[in-house]
Amino acid sequence: MPVIETKNLTYTYPGGKLPSIKDVSMKVEKGEFVLITGPSGCGKTTLCRCFNGLIPNFYQGEIKGEITVTGLNTSKKHTYEMAKHVGLVFQNPENQLFALSIEKDVAFGLENLGVDREKIRQRVDWALKQVGIYDIRERSPHEVSGGQQQRVAIASVLAMQPELIVLDEPTSFLDPLSAKKIFAVINELNTKLGITVVLVEHRLDLTAKYASRIIIMDQGKICLDGKPRKILNKEETRLLGVGIPKATLLHQELLENKLKLRNTTPLSSQELANFLEELLKTK
Amino acid sequence: MSVFDGLKFRKVYSPIHNLDPRMKFVYVIVVFVVAILFNQLLVLLALFFMPIPFVLLAGVQREWLRSLRGAVFLATFIFIINIATRFLGSGYVLTIIDVEEAIAMTVRFVVLVESFSVFFLTTSPDHLGLALEQTRVPYEFAFAFTTAVRFVPVLAEEAQTIMDAQKARGLELEKGGFLKRIRNYIPILIPLIVSAIRRSLELAEAMESRAWGATKNRTNLYELKFHRGDFLLLAINLIMLATAIYLRLQLHFGYVSIPTISQILF
Repeated sequence: MPVIETKNLTYTYPGGKLPSIKDVSMKVEKGEFVLITGPSGCGKTTLCRCFNGLIPNFYQGEIKGEITVTGLNTSKKHTYEMAKHVGLVFQNPENQLFALSIEKDVAFGLENLGVDREKIRQRVDWALKQVGIYDIRERSPHEVSGGQQQRVAIASVLAMQPELIVLDEPTSFLDPLSAKKIFAVINELNTKLGITVVLVEHRLDLTAKYASRIIIMDQGKICLDGKPRKILNKEETRLLGVGIPKATLLHQELLENKLKLRNTTPLSSQELANFLEELLKTK
Repeated sequence: MSVFDGLKFRKVYSPIHNLDPRMKFVYVIVVFVVAILFNQLLVLLALFFMPIPFVLLAGVQREWLRSLRGAVFLATFIFIINIATRFLGSGYVLTIIDVEEAIAMTVRFVVLVESFSVFFLTTSPDHLGLALEQTRVPYEFAFAFTTAVRFVPVLAEEAQTIMDAQKARGLELEKGGFLKRIRNYIPILIPLIVSAIRRSLELAEAMESRAWGATKNRTNLYELKFHRGDFLLLAINLIMLATAIYLRLQLHFGYVSIPTISQILF
């Protein structure tokens, strides 16, 4: 059973003239790391809101088509029921943390679910350790750095042990180094804990190497969907204004210059460096 | 914005900070009651010096003195009004008793201020929210309270940013008469309110996504429990209240009298 399955999903915000997402049909299998990207305003955030039932429970508006997430029909379940299965991390870390200490924030979801105190303590400590902020658990979320805040946000959904974590541009408020660290944390959730990850992100430079699949959206529709190496090599991708990794672009140019490089699209500078080394050794 | 720095509560460990906020609140109430029961300067002075050991134990002397300094203006006002009414009421004569009573009223006010300030200086908002929750205040209210405290510094920072942005576009805040100056703040208030509303929407979204309202029987990571210190404070509260009531009754029936300071001195 796929973790996410949508069929011709179309949604219009209340008062909106045009639908924000149109005829979106996609499937995400268990354990996948799906990267969704596309120009601003293409409907990525709207799609994220559909995954945990904020649409149509929190936002009214018109929804058509089918969507099941972790086997549940999101429009028939309350958002709090979906919260046990789907964790959603938002863009602005400041507006998704509201407690006065980090561990209290991480415990928030479990408290709402009425979990026993000992069990909350266990799971909170576990989640804090997973993202590496156990040492600062007693500090206030607004006095730590943006990168740490976003880790708190991740820990707070992780504590509920969801099968799927959806992250909506989690690093757009962060500097490149913190972003890099956050992506490494997200990758660990996927590889070590086997949680299915859907990541919406512009920074393909840092994330393409982790993804098992890339989906590119434009004007509310899915344009391309497939393996990263395949998608990033396409002319269409570049024309859409997607931030293709520098290594991939350089590789394309080198191939055009008739350099006898290996013909797999590299996703990181590390990979490209390896290809170049191979080439130099054969000569 | 230094005004709001006071709300950034830092976690401190001291015997006073660790006390149960409910017990501390009872202490404040008891001090209130005693201060209202008596208008003798001697008793009120005793109450005035009461919080000092608490303040020293908690290590918040500087903040405490600052809050007292804030009360100076109102205290002076109360003193002057008291003196004036007594002076005018008794046909333009002022006795030493009048002055003492005026001082007593002023000290009563200061006692109320200082005991409240000890409470707020040594109670983290988190603890306070927890206390509200455990006294069966609906969770929504307790949550609204802690969230408001949490977001005051954030909004203050935002107001500063907006102010800087508007000043950079040529807005002059300190120009014109009184009304003009108030009107100058409109271009700051509107963006601030709009962004606060937007922020609250995002907050609501985040709360929904983390199972807000899933069950009526919400649990809590922390639990307030009475420790040794709390029982000690309970004893202090009870002794204080009992003595005060006993003394007040004795005073009422005329069995005892409390000497005035002027009697002691002269």
